[in-house]
Amino acid sequence: MKQILSLTVNNDTYEVAVSPWRTLLDVLRDDLGLMGTKRGCGSGTCGVCTVIIDGRAILSCLTLALECAGKSITTIEGISSPESLHPIQKSFIENGAVQCGFCTPGIVMTSKALLDEKPQPNDDEIKEALAGTFCRCTGHIKIMEAVKKASKQ
Amino acid sequence: MRLPRFEYVRPQALEEALSVLAQSGSRAKILAGGTDLLVNMKQRTVCPEVLVSIKTLSELLMVSSDAQGFTAIGSGANLTDLAANAGIAEKFPAFIQAVRAIASKHIRNMACIGGNVCLDTRCWYYNQSKLWRDARERCHRTGGSVCHAIKGAARCHAINSSDTAPVLVALDAKISVMKKGENRLIPARQFYCDDGIRNTILEPSAIVTAIHLPDGNGAGRSAFIKLSMRRGIDFALCSIAARANINGAGVTDVRLVLGSIASMPIVLEKAAQVIMEAGLTQSAIEKAGEVARTELGIITNLFTSAGYKRQLAGVLVKQALNELKGKTAKRGGAKA
Repeated sequence: MKQILSLTVNNDTYEVAVSPWRTLLDVLRDDLGLMGTKRGCGSGTCGVCTVIIDGRAILSCLTLALECAGKSITTIEGISSPESLHPIQKSFIENGAVQCGFCTPGIVMTSKALLDEKPQPNDDEIKEALAGTFCRCTGHIKIMEAVKKASKQ
Repeated sequence: MRLPRFEYVRPQALEEALSVLAQSGSRAKILAGGTDLLVNMKQRTVCPEVLVSIKTLSELLMVSSDAQGFTAIGSGANLTDLAANAGIAEKFPAFIQAVRAIASKHIRNMACIGGNVCLDTRCWYYNQSKLWRDARERCHRTGGSVCHAIKGAARCHAINSSDTAPVLVALDAKISVMKKGENRLIPARQFYCDDGIRNTILEPSAIVTAIHLPDGNGAGRSAFIKLSMRRGIDFALCSIAARANINGAGVTDVRLVLGSIASMPIVLEKAAQVIMEAGLTQSAIEKAGEVARTELGIITNLFTSAGYKRQLAGVLVKQALNELKGKTAKRGGAKA
């Protein structure tokens, strides 16, 4: 049975009717049209569906939409505008950390959660935070460099 | 992969959750972090009709020291919070090392300790999509009578990959299990079963409410090492939890427990005996490693041979004992 749910995404409040078995990812993409958050493995391995809830990077593919009521959700659409990119996004572009770009929203959100928590992370902390994300074309060295350079801004 | 349909219930109190579970029986599953259950549901390895969400139950979130000399950790304690808990890390370093070794930071941000303690077993054939499984004859776990992971196996040998399970067994932890009208404290060693299908004694209507770690007398030392193919996010090929009480040259209460290598944590009695008799000398550590290799009756499966697993066990036993001794052990592949 569908339940009416109030979701706060990127500081906007949406009322949606959702079935219990729909994930936050389903609702973000299919109901709210926020396609920046990608659907990858669907099983918690690749990290492309990462969003930030209450300051932490979480996987929207393994989160029931019903359990997000009353929480503050931030997606890739919420951190910047096309006119002014977020410093992490700029750093990804400047350091060649984007190739096909499919994994980028998830990795940028993961990096943002890290830098919000620890503005000056060391290499091990960056590796630990990014361990749950996969990039299959750029390779992770440039991504690490991009996060490190963003942390110095 | 989409989730199958289910009914969602969110009880407001533990007592209510126990009532719902008592009524629903095996039709229901408990949902907390969801990082294990929801993946299995997407793969259709479990299809509960009812999900009972216990994430917000305050009764399961407590971390406290009790009068009997135990530190009680509520089963709903989040793994990222636990990993950062300096008080618990000081008292039980191996436990926190194991928590930090679980999956990825994303998963730890979502998952709770109760879920890792009760982690479902895994197998290379079984933990795939339904389409994949349907391409072959049904295995022991899916209602058939063959095993695709181990040729000729008479039962399911799916592996318990919980990183914390061997630590709980090594530390003589107790697991608090509640069902309607009943509250039991079960030693971790008796909580796990050598069965790939039903790997804990937990009944469908019961909830793990807390784990209790014995504070000990200050002489206890513990270590945890996880070996996996990838450091980032992976299940262990083999892990070890070791514990001993060390008073000068005397070494007592040695426990060596292997994880992620069978359907339950494996206690190495003979290897531990070597150390209790001879102490943590270099020659005893070498001997314990050799004894561990012969003590295992591990069967070859698809990806790792019995010989490889015995080699791993011997190496991990030596590394863990060296760590107990206070040496800096070289840790190939270990993350924690």
